[in-house]
Amino acid sequence: MAKRKNLKPWGVGATVIAICGVVLFPIYWMILTSLSKSTELRSYPPRFLPHDPQWGTFSELLAAHPFDVWFMNSLKIAIAVLVLSLTISVLAAYALSRFRLKGGQSMGLFILTAKMLPGTLIIIPFFVIFRQMGLIGSLWSVVIAQATMIIPFATWMLKGYFDTIPVELEQAAIVDGCSPIGTIFRIVLPVSAPGLAATSLYCFVLSWSDFLFARTFVVTSESLWTLNLGISSLKGEWITDWNIVMAASLMASLPIIAVFLFLERYMVGGLAAGSEK
Amino acid sequence: MIDFSSPRHRHKLGYLLIAPALIMMALIIVYPILLSVDISFQDVKIARIGSDRKPFSIENYEWLFTSGEFYNSLWVTVRLLLFVGGTALIFGFACALLLNEKFKGRSFARLLVILPWAVPEVVAVVIWAWMLDSSFGVFNWILLTTGMISEPIAFASDPTSAFFSVCLVMIWKGYPFICIMLLAGLQSIPEEQYQAASVDGANVFQRFWHVTIPNMLPVLGVCFVMTALWVFRDFAIIFVLTEGGPVGSTKSLAIMTFEQSFQFFRMGRAAAVGVITLILCAILSRALVSRFAKSVA
Repeated sequence: MAKRKNLKPWGVGATVIAICGVVLFPIYWMILTSLSKSTELRSYPPRFLPHDPQWGTFSELLAAHPFDVWFMNSLKIAIAVLVLSLTISVLAAYALSRFRLKGGQSMGLFILTAKMLPGTLIIIPFFVIFRQMGLIGSLWSVVIAQATMIIPFATWMLKGYFDTIPVELEQAAIVDGCSPIGTIFRIVLPVSAPGLAATSLYCFVLSWSDFLFARTFVVTSESLWTLNLGISSLKGEWITDWNIVMAASLMASLPIIAVFLFLERYMVGGLAAGSEK
Repeated sequence: MIDFSSPRHRHKLGYLLIAPALIMMALIIVYPILLSVDISFQDVKIARIGSDRKPFSIENYEWLFTSGEFYNSLWVTVRLLLFVGGTALIFGFACALLLNEKFKGRSFARLLVILPWAVPEVVAVVIWAWMLDSSFGVFNWILLTTGMISEPIAFASDPTSAFFSVCLVMIWKGYPFICIMLLAGLQSIPEEQYQAASVDGANVFQRFWHVTIPNMLPVLGVCFVMTALWVFRDFAIIFVLTEGGPVGSTKSLAIMTFEQSFQFFRMGRAAAVGVITLILCAILSRALVSRFAKSVA
């Protein structure tokens, strides 16, 4: 590694630790606050180290707000979006990768359009359409809206990954008597597990972060609120119980951080496959 | 049943597989865009939307181009874009370069550096809102103790501070994605180019300038445009943090669109703002068009 000779390893290490300290401080602060007494939060100077952790904040949160309902709604939406987007994107990405299709270029245009569409614009026609379909006040409206934004880019990521898989694998399977659809499920998908993992992570993160669609389509029925809607409602105009808000934020972030820790290693590879053309 | 394995019918399978995606895209991207353009040319309020047509009028666009509000929002959006895009790009690139070095625990460091990407936007906002709290926030405390300011900053009520607090959250949320994209780009630079440069006696800065930068320029360009598009369209961060205030200092075009539609119920005006935003985004991403079309088809 000739290019790395001049940089001192300890210098790199120290810089990385410093950067991690700065960028992760907000997350640390969230955890610390969620474990503090509300009276401590209004004291100067602030405490930087945990001291007498208050686990009661979490039960207080559950007692005061329907956090479990918000959580389940977010989870239902995320799973539905994941299944819907992955199914459609896998098929489309495979078709784009393996067939010379007329109109394949238009898919590129769709991807780009979906990247450019302002969410606040698209909710207006969506509102009209969903109302005609009777979907306003149903979680499906949020699912469909999210999938719209996710499918194009997911297709692009998966297509990039499928391109790296040699066609010979599938040809061998066909020769052995496997049907063309069978090859997708038995050969292509198992081989592209890392690509699927990266795409799933992308879907899950986007779905879990959605605020606009939930804010527009289900805000009026509180039983359908998602985590993000609930948390934003906790941030009050004048007085905010920050320890409760931070406890809710922490619990809302845990699933996504868990999924992220588990699937992150595939992310760089997955994006590299998609973007390096 | 058609036998898809025969060469005669094989291409049909391709169209069959892509059909769901194309139908869905047509129904939920193309049709809504047309509908938005249609709505933007009608003077329509929420109660009537979709039920019966109002006559064609350019009133919404007239209002748009004569109101100071639109130009304010445009200016806010452009400033956000330059500030957030520039800072996040520099910081993301620095992180990517560091993480591309070989050191112990590199994959763990990569995980930590891009962790903010996974934090939901609303959660990121409430964390920062708490840290930036004007009376008890830790940010003010740090600035006061280090002597950088002499009295606490009112992040929520001072227009300039509110703008920079939005920037802070956006940079924190936005740089990890840039870092991942750039890291993927760095890893695809052939090692031979570095070796050749070393043989020619180039030092580390010369190698950076003559090998890394030229190789990375296209990816850097894509990253900037993607970040810009994100800043242009982002809703949750600004809405939850400041709702576009105080006095419109953080009211981007996206916030203005939402305010007109689901707060003032002027759907026609909102659609007009949205259509203009879409056109601006399209112009902005013109550079990406051929690249995407090539990589997909």
